[in-house]
Amino acid sequence: MPALPEYKTRILLENHDVPLVPAVFHDAMPEILPEPVVFLKAQIPGATSRAGRGLVRRASTPDEIANGLRELLAEENCQGVLSAQAVDIKKEYYAACLLDFGDGENLPGGVILFSPDGGTGIEGRTSSLIKIKFSLLNPPSTDDIEKQLEGIPNSTELAEFLKKMTRTFIGYKLTVLETNPIAVLADGSHIAVDCRAEFEKHAVSRKNAELFKVPESSTSDSTPLEKAVEAINADDPAGTGFFRASREKAPEGTIAVATNLCGGGGKMLWEMTTGGRDDIFSLNESDTSGGLSGFKSYRILRAIMSQPEAQVLILTGSGMAFQNQYHLASAVWKALKESATPLPSLLRFGGTDQVKAMELLEQVSQSLPVKIRTFRPEIFPNAMVEHLSEIATDHRVQQKFTPEAGELAFEVKTPPARFIYHPDKNPDNIEPICVKECPTGFLLWENGRIVANPEAKCIGCLVCETVSILEGNGELTIELDLPGEVL
Amino acid sequence: MAGILKHLCDIDTPRVLVFGITGRQGKSRSRLMRGFGTEIVAGTTPGKGGQEVDGVPVYNTAAEAVAAHPDINSAVFFVPAGAIAGAAYDAMDAGIKFLVLTADGVATQDSIKIKEKAFETGAKCLGPNTVGMLDTDGYLFGLIGGKASWAKKNYLPGKVGVISRSGGLSQLLAAFHCRPELPGPKPDGSFGPLWGEDYPGLSAVLCVGGDPVPGITILDAARAFEADPRTEVMAIYAETGTTQENDLALAVKNGEIKKPIVVFLGGKFTEAGVAQSHAGAMIRNESETYSAKKAALEDAGVTVVDRPDSVFAATSEFIK
Repeated sequence: MPALPEYKTRILLENHDVPLVPAVFHDAMPEILPEPVVFLKAQIPGATSRAGRGLVRRASTPDEIANGLRELLAEENCQGVLSAQAVDIKKEYYAACLLDFGDGENLPGGVILFSPDGGTGIEGRTSSLIKIKFSLLNPPSTDDIEKQLEGIPNSTELAEFLKKMTRTFIGYKLTVLETNPIAVLADGSHIAVDCRAEFEKHAVSRKNAELFKVPESSTSDSTPLEKAVEAINADDPAGTGFFRASREKAPEGTIAVATNLCGGGGKMLWEMTTGGRDDIFSLNESDTSGGLSGFKSYRILRAIMSQPEAQVLILTGSGMAFQNQYHLASAVWKALKESATPLPSLLRFGGTDQVKAMELLEQVSQSLPVKIRTFRPEIFPNAMVEHLSEIATDHRVQQKFTPEAGELAFEVKTPPARFIYHPDKNPDNIEPICVKECPTGFLLWENGRIVANPEAKCIGCLVCETVSILEGNGELTIELDLPGEVL
Repeated sequence: MAGILKHLCDIDTPRVLVFGITGRQGKSRSRLMRGFGTEIVAGTTPGKGGQEVDGVPVYNTAAEAVAAHPDINSAVFFVPAGAIAGAAYDAMDAGIKFLVLTADGVATQDSIKIKEKAFETGAKCLGPNTVGMLDTDGYLFGLIGGKASWAKKNYLPGKVGVISRSGGLSQLLAAFHCRPELPGPKPDGSFGPLWGEDYPGLSAVLCVGGDPVPGITILDAARAFEADPRTEVMAIYAETGTTQENDLALAVKNGEIKKPIVVFLGGKFTEAGVAQSHAGAMIRNESETYSAKKAALEDAGVTVVDRPDSVFAATSEFIK
């Protein structure tokens, strides 16, 4: 889960009136230094054990403050320094709000974990921990919480503090909200001295997007190909397009497999097949599913095939996919034709038009630069992998695909593509078959040209290009942009 | 004969309100649902009341739709994840008793609140992050099935009840039980057709979804199949994360669930704390691991297989 640094978590708590130790955030050296004594805390998202790493310092003099600020601001990934006023703490408590996932007997909800003995060593200490379950739908009142704090001094005020924490937790749909410590001051009041929050990216509302923005450098060590797939997802967001390269090298003697796995079920089938085998090495994780277009399948396949160590491509889903399998097969064909480094492939199709998908690839297989083998969905990945060694290659085919010149008929933005008409392939100037076969009526033939129907939508299925080449004369081709890292 | 919803939420014939019917997915999925036989009574999209979609009247709210069509008893949602909680409350407040929440990426807090609200109102929610459900009695909800012609060809009446945490695998387990001459590994170690033309067939398939807090759980679904006279055996795709399999094992062990169950358990190589493609598959503690779940299920007498193609031979062993 992504985590918010303390200075941002403080904003969430402030918005729900949770008392906080006075502090100022500096994202650069301030012109006027804070008054001593202060604690200087480097704000690095995801950083833990800050004190032990020298990222929290007590500064008692102007020199110490200036030097501390300078040094902490120079730390890697540091977003700034929080200068927190030193306070006279009489007692420390620990509190956190977490999700309770429930079980067969108990409804899910939220839970407050509270320790009157402070937070040091909280992970291993359960005897003094008070657990207060609460409803997210009907959050607890101060009274509800106070009833659970028997024997704790100033329990009404503490319960009010914890109630405000629950409101913060619910209001921002957090997964974790921790205040450690809650300081009890000489006057009996409670303030949060340090705090942190974790959240789900998809739970962040649009209006809070800026507040919850986590710098990429702190959360991502993406490879160039992963960034390429992120870019593909950014300009064609429909459907899942997940790709993650292994950080390990394929061990000697293993078959290095590039995988295009379709859906969580397909991914799980592959993991169950290969998890216990030491002769097969998956170069990447992937998940293409959720109604993605053929255009997007093609672009992600190109990225998957670009992995230099790969010896073979495996494509499989659960066996009953949502994605039209003929559209997927069209994407596979196009990728194998146009990739600079096409891979021999084991391809399992299952779902609507699965027979058409296999027929298409069988029809074109002789013209491909690599061997392919197709499988019916009744043949599972555990049987497919028995064909890996016969098809995997140690010598990748290198090819250069040069698109044929033509006229730009039009472009579409979502999913992004350029439609190229080749009038020289249509000397009689008659309606090409791609127009008739377009499944949504998006292509029209008007005045001797292919035009886009403003009343219809392109679904990026690639059927137009496939039928144009196989059943027509190649009158229409599709150009799909690829990020520079994709070969 | 009543379908599985009779045993899940006492609905004899589902009469459906479609949330988001004016959107692209809402429109197209509604057509597919109707093509399979589902009775869609009305749709709702805020601000679009008064319109029609393929002859189906559209209302601004569930309350308006139910006031005009008191026979509405169920709903399916084709709305974005961020809007799902509000829409689900709207449906439950209007008295709708069965909800299918297809949206992926729902905040866990929203899933929990929906579950709390369902408990308060007595409603049952399938999902979030589900492809839906299909009953061979002639109705389906959600994304499952694809084109009506494809669904009618692939999902045929029979004796197997399917429950799954994965969309693709719910369809696979359901459809493959309806394929004559399905090839697969047999108990004697040979490979070949598991049955002849007389396939086991399907009573219904329920995808409980891949999220950490499902509305209807595997155990809830198993209770419904236990009560369903068509169902002789249950085929389940289960995995790591959540307590669903442990809860099922307990119910089998204490005799609440008596029908035979075959579980294809995924996640044998899943490591604790690592994010999976199904968010709910993340292991949070030892009891949620593959080995703990396998042990609990087998101890209760459930057949557990770790190859997907072994499911079919195993279920056919239990069919009379």
